[in-house]
Amino acid sequence: MPTAPAPTLLSADHLAMMDGGVSVIVSSCGTDLAPSVMRAVGSHIGDGGRRITVFVCRSQSTQLLRDVARSARLAAVFSQPSTHRTVQLKTRAARLREATDADVPALQRYLRGMEIELTRIGFGAVYARAMLAHRLDDVVAIEFEPELAFDQTPGPKAGQPIVGMP
Amino acid sequence: MTAALPLPAVDLGEVRPCLEGAIPAIMATCGADGTPNVAYISQVYYVDEGHVSLSFQFFNKTRQNLLANPRSTLLVLNPLNAVFYRLHLRYLRTESSGPVFESMKAQLAGIASHTGMADVFRLLGSDIHEVIEVERLPQEPLPEALPQPPARPNHLSVLRRGSARLSAARSLGAALDVTLDTLAQDLAVRHAMVLILDTTTQRLYTVASRGYETSGVGSEIALGDGVIGVAARECTPVRIMHMTSAYLYSRAMRNSLGDAQPQNTDIPYPGLPEPHSQMAVPLQSAGRVVGVLFVESPLDMQFSFEDEDLLVALGGQLGAAIDLMHEAEAPCTEDEPEAAAAVVPAPAGPALHVRHYRSNDSVFINNAYLIKGVAGAILWKLLRDGQQGRCEFTNRELRLDSSLRLPDVADNLEARLLLLHRRLAEQCPQLRIQKTGRGCFRFEANGPVELEDVAA
Repeated sequence: MPTAPAPTLLSADHLAMMDGGVSVIVSSCGTDLAPSVMRAVGSHIGDGGRRITVFVCRSQSTQLLRDVARSARLAAVFSQPSTHRTVQLKTRAARLREATDADVPALQRYLRGMEIELTRIGFGAVYARAMLAHRLDDVVAIEFEPELAFDQTPGPKAGQPIVGMP
Repeated sequence: MTAALPLPAVDLGEVRPCLEGAIPAIMATCGADGTPNVAYISQVYYVDEGHVSLSFQFFNKTRQNLLANPRSTLLVLNPLNAVFYRLHLRYLRTESSGPVFESMKAQLAGIASHTGMADVFRLLGSDIHEVIEVERLPQEPLPEALPQPPARPNHLSVLRRGSARLSAARSLGAALDVTLDTLAQDLAVRHAMVLILDTTTQRLYTVASRGYETSGVGSEIALGDGVIGVAARECTPVRIMHMTSAYLYSRAMRNSLGDAQPQNTDIPYPGLPEPHSQMAVPLQSAGRVVGVLFVESPLDMQFSFEDEDLLVALGGQLGAAIDLMHEAEAPCTEDEPEAAAAVVPAPAGPALHVRHYRSNDSVFINNAYLIKGVAGAILWKLLRDGQQGRCEFTNRELRLDSSLRLPDVADNLEARLLLLHRRLAEQCPQLRIQKTGRGCFRFEANGPVELEDVAA
């Protein structure tokens, strides 16, 4: 995997989509090559896409957190339910930290985005609140800088690397 | 499938509501070097209590990873109560034909047309995975109640009532009617039909229907055509939750004879013009397909996996009944008194002109197509014998009559008689068949008949 991520790996378009509060799924891998996976309860796009935080519930993500702590490898998928637009980011240097009160605005903003998205596809905001229900003291933040990005919008071209914008 | 798998702590049955496609499943795989990958999955198909099948549509990272490392983890969500499940899977093999593949292909066609991606989605294979473990994830108490789905009938009670009605049916016609009654009354299924397989021509012909403008009795579908034909050929239920009429799978009903054959012999297929949900369940008896039970709706997502289970169970009994009815020949004491009383003297009037083509036993009445094949040959025999003054017949003598060209096994004589009976009732009430008991019937022409036999 190449190192030295392009400073602007993701286009403004991709970043706007990811920042709108869309479905986020994170995955890692154990020593036995068993994949771990969980839906995030929140995300935050910082520093123009160079610093990304995803939040998961510890109680629902035991293996995932163990795998990230061990390998620092992470794949995170951002997907907009109403359009199927999807981006996958990968890193080998993910870090864990406890969520704090300072993360609450990001979590709330994310929830609002998902409420809007699920309403668009006919599920109703209540599903977003149910899916993303969490206690702050159970939430763990995973921070990373994306090393690779792929367009994963469904179709034959899914999986193409996204090359950075000039 | 492997039979002796230890049951997972959480039964895969608990996960089935998550596999209905309301919320996409997510699959995590891992390369040989430990790089994780996440992908949305169009379709997770419940194969049995120990296996699921996932659609293989593109050669992508997920597939590359699975071939290098068969372990994957699937994340699914129950749309009714927002409980997450993780399925720990091991990839076994890819099937590109057979029941699972065909059923998934039909279902995927529905999903694709619903999402406007019919051109993009094509099923290359069904990836069969063993379910190693099912994990139910802990959940925070929900901040508020989720909307309740509309109340559904208790499927076991419906099955019991339907089964009791079927057990009481004394004729094939009654067995078909009570099955469709059960669907209409207890499941609110308004559009349904039963088709029976003609093993000689490898076509399915409609013998009973409900909820359509025309009954379509006698209309035909080739084995392998459309949802109905695929269900019969592959011997698998096919259930589609979203669909537009444009797609190939939506229907297939052409009944084409060769150019040399008499024209205009199609009986219109009765289906809905724009179905959105469909389900076809093969009817089986003694290990072979005898027909198909088919239901449809103009609305999306009308048939659940529970409906599928119910139709498969009820269809098992109906399949056995269809088989049983055509073997039962012992004269029955259950006479229908009104049958004899209903005989009316033949009024004078213009003669019915009946033309029979020997090549395919098609029968036209006053130049309008009525029926062909074995049912046509039976009608022709009844008319000819009728000219000699006979009106009482037995199934046994028909079965022994070599001119009817019945197949040696599974001749479905009872079904062909029922088909003829219903076609006559709809198209030519002047000719009628009336059961006088099990294995015997009366054929009457209510007026003069003129017969013309065409060698072609």
